[in-house]
Amino acid sequence: MTQHHPDSFSLMEYSAGNLTEPHALCIRLHLDQCSHCRSRVDMLDSLGAIMMEQQPQVSVADTTFDSILARIDEGPGPDQVEAQQRRSVGPLQKLLGNDLDSLPWKRQLGDVSVLDISDRFPGQTEQVVLQKLTAGGKAPTHTHRGEETTIVLQGAFADNKGIFNQWDFVVLNQQDEHKPIALEGDDCITLSVLSAPVKLTGTFTRLLNPFIR
Amino acid sequence: MMQTNSMQATAKERPVSTLEHTSARSEGRKDQWSQMLVKVGKSQDRQAYHALFQHFAPQLKYYAMANGLASHAEELVQEVFVSIWRRSCLYDWRKAAASTWIFTIARNQRIDMLRKMQRTSAEMPIETEDLWQIPGDNENEPVTSLHRLMSERRIRESLKHLPEEQTTVIAKVYMENKSHQMVANELNIPLGTVKSRVRLALNKLKVILQDQNP
Ligand SMILES: [Zn+2]
Repeated sequence: MTQHHPDSFSLMEYSAGNLTEPHALCIRLHLDQCSHCRSRVDMLDSLGAIMMEQQPQVSVADTTFDSILARIDEGPGPDQVEAQQRRSVGPLQKLLGNDLDSLPWKRQLGDVSVLDISDRFPGQTEQVVLQKLTAGGKAPTHTHRGEETTIVLQGAFADNKGIFNQWDFVVLNQQDEHKPIALEGDDCITLSVLSAPVKLTGTFTRLLNPFIR
Repeated sequence: MMQTNSMQATAKERPVSTLEHTSARSEGRKDQWSQMLVKVGKSQDRQAYHALFQHFAPQLKYYAMANGLASHAEELVQEVFVSIWRRSCLYDWRKAAASTWIFTIARNQRIDMLRKMQRTSAEMPIETEDLWQIPGDNENEPVTSLHRLMSERRIRESLKHLPEEQTTVIAKVYMENKSHQMVANELNIPLGTVKSRVRLALNKLKVILQDQNP
């Protein structure tokens, strides 16, 4: 079971529909596996509905309902929609396929490999990065630039704050210095979203997260 | 007095009254809009559909206007209602009130419309629904309908007693599509203040159950 959850502010912004796509993806992946947060989002959705109900109301043109009836008469019936839903594939498979290991990983240093997938989110300014730490491997001590949101997709890692298992959620910022170690077993793969675009300084290209910065 | 009456009634017509009581109780858990949405899903009831339209369309239109879709407000109302019709067979009143279910459809349609307007030639590999629609087939959800209903009532009740500065912040997040940071900038107060108002509100609404990063 997941131990590390998104905070209420992120869940509220998710419920309100205000998160960027990469951030929404992290939350969505966590919600898929965490009934605790799912029930919090259910409550937040109710809050949203009640907020909407308490706002002013604006009258709608008489013809609108007729246009709607015309559209539902043309479109697919409810049962076809249901069948379509059942067949749907999860967002992670759509984005990355079924085999995370066969992705074109780039070895960074020692136990660490990365893959920048920002281009899968056209129009977004955030950097979106997959990172892999070999099972049992260590990343060097590092701090973080800007705020980065990370979800564990596979395996687990440990640092001074605890153990992060699959689907655990963690937000790190400038104050957090850590030295993550992947647990034995599976390679640890994480998905990270960097809020502030990374500014490269110095001679060396900075390595990407969440293990290295 | 009351007690005597009810005792007599119980003695006389116990089986009938128990039956009525049970059905009244389970029906009572379904508000009128949820009942109508169930009718639309089960039998494509157009009268119920029209009643839902009359109740929700004016709310949705305001929602669209407040959320940066002023010139597409009627369009959003249409998209939401077409979607309500097509998805109505998936609606389960035990999991969400009609108002909550419709709110999430409105949110998703709003995101989708904005995405399509901003979309360049590049196609997005994932759809709006992949990000914002939680699969509805989690049959073993721990949240029972009674629990859900109680939390909805509690939220509605407690909202009335929140200080205005707290509801204002929440309204901006939900109705104006603003992040906590944007709300802070607009009200010219620190982000920490916005967050503490939200935290106080969510505590009172009992939405915060456990927070790792307070
Ligand atoms: Zn969680």
